[in-house]
Amino acid sequence: MSNFHNESRKILVCCGTGCLANGSYQVYEKFKKILHNNPNITIEPSIKTTGCNGLCEKGPVVKILPDQISYFKVSVDDVDQIVDETIVQGKIIDRLLYFDTNSKKRIRDHNDASFYKHQHKIALRNTGEIDPLHIEDYLERDGYKALKKVLFEMTPKDVISEIEKSNLRGRGGAGFPTGIKWRTCSNFDDFPKYVVCNGDEGDPGAFMDRSILEGDPNTIIEGMIICGYAIKSNKGFLYIRDEYELARKNMQVAIDNARKFGFLGQNILGSSFDFDLEIIRGGGAFVCGESSALMASIEGHVGEPRAKYIRSVERGLWNKPTVLNNVETWANIPPIIINGSEWFKSIGSEGNSGTKVFSLVGKVKNTGLVEIPMGTKLNELIFQIGGGLIKDRPFKAVQTGGPSGGCIPKEHLDIALDFESLNSIGSMMGSGGVIVMDDTTCMVELARYYMEFLAGESCGKCTTCREGINTMLQILKNITAGKGQLDDIDLLLQLGETIKEGSLCALGKTAPNPVLTTIKYFKDEYIDHIVNKKCSAGVCKNLTTYYIESDLCIGCGICSKKCPVDAISGILKEPHLINQDICIKCGDCFIACPSGAIKIGGANYEY
Amino acid sequence: MNIKINGEYYKGEDGETLLELAKRNNIDIPSLCYKKGFEGLGRCRLCLVEVNDNGKTQTVSSCIYPIKDGIEVFTNTERIRKMRKDIILLLSLRAPNNEFINELAKEYDVQAPSRYLNPDEKENCILCGLCVEACEKLGTNAISLVGRGTTKAVSTPYDDASKDCIGCGACADVCPTGAISLIDIDGKRTIWNRTFNLVKCSICGKYYTTEDALEFIDEKLGIENQEHICQSCNKRLISKKFYL
Repeated sequence: MSNFHNESRKILVCCGTGCLANGSYQVYEKFKKILHNNPNITIEPSIKTTGCNGLCEKGPVVKILPDQISYFKVSVDDVDQIVDETIVQGKIIDRLLYFDTNSKKRIRDHNDASFYKHQHKIALRNTGEIDPLHIEDYLERDGYKALKKVLFEMTPKDVISEIEKSNLRGRGGAGFPTGIKWRTCSNFDDFPKYVVCNGDEGDPGAFMDRSILEGDPNTIIEGMIICGYAIKSNKGFLYIRDEYELARKNMQVAIDNARKFGFLGQNILGSSFDFDLEIIRGGGAFVCGESSALMASIEGHVGEPRAKYIRSVERGLWNKPTVLNNVETWANIPPIIINGSEWFKSIGSEGNSGTKVFSLVGKVKNTGLVEIPMGTKLNELIFQIGGGLIKDRPFKAVQTGGPSGGCIPKEHLDIALDFESLNSIGSMMGSGGVIVMDDTTCMVELARYYMEFLAGESCGKCTTCREGINTMLQILKNITAGKGQLDDIDLLLQLGETIKEGSLCALGKTAPNPVLTTIKYFKDEYIDHIVNKKCSAGVCKNLTTYYIESDLCIGCGICSKKCPVDAISGILKEPHLINQDICIKCGDCFIACPSGAIKIGGANYEY
Repeated sequence: MNIKINGEYYKGEDGETLLELAKRNNIDIPSLCYKKGFEGLGRCRLCLVEVNDNGKTQTVSSCIYPIKDGIEVFTNTERIRKMRKDIILLLSLRAPNNEFINELAKEYDVQAPSRYLNPDEKENCILCGLCVEACEKLGTNAISLVGRGTTKAVSTPYDDASKDCIGCGACADVCPTGAISLIDIDGKRTIWNRTFNLVKCSICGKYYTTEDALEFIDEKLGIENQEHICQSCNKRLISKKFYL
């Protein structure tokens, strides 16, 4: 370490949306200011802002290269110490290192942490490693190499068959083979054709597309140009949702730079191929993530889907052949072209090549973006990468695939994360949202929550989706309020089937999933709500009473300190009591009690 | 092309939808948002049928499904009947006091669960969108579907009295549930929050359209000082010409 301060090094400050919200830009500015003025530094490190590192919960993230030191939860106040100790003296600041919940150790290089160790980054390969606003950073990491290869060494047919052979499937949720989509579109001699990027990510808790758009916009541009070349299209649109301001900004800079470098525009790199891109700002409707609604929106119409009896590869945008792929799908194209389809197929499982980015959220220790080979087991994702449940509470269920995905119970935890396996148990891959739930989650309330979300986000075009979801919501509201009847379950199942079968687009066709899967796997809980008027998770307030089992109470008083309304009284070392007239049923005492003396009773519990 | 529907073969024409073919051959498929002369909308979902295409069965809305050779269609399977009943049930919950929906419910023996029925509900619109299509076809574009999800509605911009509306009443004319309020009293018509002056037919003397509508049509057709004749008198005039 003697030459430590003489090495030229890089400081990467994560400026993804999550870290920015936690003040990472101020951290970056502080670094810039004090590095410049520090007399002990002979060679000034280069300091860069990057896109998302995935572990947003522990942000702001600062990485120091080439030493491979990663600091988490860095605040402005830590910057002086980092410069004085790590940059000048080469000392590692232990308290800022990643704490591995599995091994209970602090880890210097984030790549060794269990959250990152099992990941395999293809779509996210550059996100968090480069400055998205500098095209040079992207070029340094094989950027636009695939485009050059395609333009000068491959015919459009070669490109399509390479993508086809790779078995890449759409990462937006449906899993349709990308190569077949491109080939079908290329077979129509109807011009102009269009290339579209679906950046209308709307699933609550999912942010993989946002991270790539913000952190590595050039890879999407490159993927789209390659597709344009393959299907003979000269124009592409990036539909980015209204809320993703940083994504749109970074993408616009990337487009402008790509034009300057000759990757976009006329006669790309002297190849005589023309292609250009335009950003379309989404209007803020969830349903516009549905491809035909998205195209209607680009055309300036109301964002309503149409039936796809004629596919958009034949009649898409302005009724012309159109290839639409999701952000993550586009990010996979350049690596496949550079490394070949065999390489891609060697990752993942049979029929599910490559990786998938999941956004792991909910009651899990490590939340964030995780890119893993397809076919990885669900329990590996939750317990190894995610580090298990917060406070090691019992696992109850996991919801995959966004609001219209299904809830998966404990007995299916060893399911492989691929398109077919998830469908087979009533859930789906969707865009890759994974929400982990513990015993404090009520499955009926969860179903109600998703129905409420979907009732508001349904475009309202077709009766089954609009009225059907709303009716299911009313039924679930009744049940969670304690007014349910047993035949409500039958009505939910009956309507659920009709909505799935009879709705126009994928939103309606999948909307009943949260209800149908919770009834399938947690029917007891529904019956408990309806018959016993009890919500065992303590979530539905009308059906919950907290009480203290005096035999188990050790009289520590923690509960009464936690209680926000002073409803708990008792003498130290004596059993305590909850005053039901004051209790607001927040459940804080239940979580805090060290001896498990606080129990949940139903609405009719007599104390 | 030959299309097999419920076991019988029917000759289909290029570009025809399944519902058009069925209607032409008097095969009963219920529908609310379909109107002859309009493109299928696929909104009400009542016209769902089962189509077997190359061994794969799927449920499709017949009003927008373009027919193709070799498909086999089932319009009255148990599954389809169940779905129709559910859709009527959902419409009854939306518009429990609408006479057209109630008639439909009676015909299909549907009884919405009373616990979820609001007896005071005044909604009559089922959001089929035919009125919007009619207005667009006329070129007035005074009304549109606004909002989304459960708050979706047909309305004028910002619910204000529309300056584009000509009071022609085409919207009310195509509405399958009589949901659009059109009130003609004392030579005045009120529709979409606006009142128009009505014009009398120069032959029969009955009020038949609005001044704004006549102006709009005259301008569109490039005619000036057109004689004001209502549709039924006009028909009579034309048939007279033929007979003479």
